[in-house]
Amino acid sequence: MKRAKPQEGLGGTLQRTVVPEARQLRKAAGDWLKQRRADAGLSQVALAERLGMKYYTFISQVENGFSRVPTEAMEAWAIQLGLEPSEFAQHLLLYYEPELHRLLFGRKK
Amino acid sequence: MSVLTFERKQDGELWSESELHTLLGSLNAALGSEDGRGWETGMTEKGDPQFYLLGPLPDQECQLCVSRIGGRYLLEDGAGRLLFEHQSLPLVAMHAKAAVSSRQWSLVARICLLWCTVRHTIHDKVEPLLVESEEVFLHLAPKLAAFA
Repeated sequence: MKRAKPQEGLGGTLQRTVVPEARQLRKAAGDWLKQRRADAGLSQVALAERLGMKYYTFISQVENGFSRVPTEAMEAWAIQLGLEPSEFAQHLLLYYEPELHRLLFGRKK
Repeated sequence: MSVLTFERKQDGELWSESELHTLLGSLNAALGSEDGRGWETGMTEKGDPQFYLLGPLPDQECQLCVSRIGGRYLLEDGAGRLLFEHQSLPLVAMHAKAAVSSRQWSLVARICLLWCTVRHTIHDKVEPLLVESEEVFLHLAPKLAAFA
């Protein structure tokens, strides 16, 4: 997974706003998922194949921090990474819904 | 199900300026609002470029993603559902526009989009077959005439 540098063009450098916290947390989740996939010895294509996806592009979308692992896909995703689904979901909740995670599990953000 | 892979024509390159113009031109209305919507580009592990249309602040979650794989463009939503795929970026961009403005999207515009898709499909798939049939016919016609 790679994250491209902001592209220039179209009349100059593109205007960027400060990256909001939710995006930073999704990116952190993506980095964690990427590391877990690497630990499992899977490429993005291989993981997508195991998850029954036609293309692997959504894996990249998630690992780049732009989307979340859908709730309905968490169990299968965890299993393919060799992780326990409830721990996997709990860890992702830490990034995706930190306040809910704190309320449920009593940890700080 | 097996994941489709393609040989890349443009090896791991970012979006060209004309590709970005096409995408941004179609998504102009969605990006013009002042609620923090934006866009980003990225790459897959294999170096295939991706374009992300982001939703409003504070989450700025991906609403649509266009990926280019082997000269083919894929349009997915933020949950990974494949909405459309084609080798024509303008057509994919039209579908992206329709997806983000589906609430205001009139029936006439939807019919136009359907018509464009059908025309592209005919152009890409049916026309080569017709040309091939015509060639076969031209090849066989003199022989058939000789038998008659």
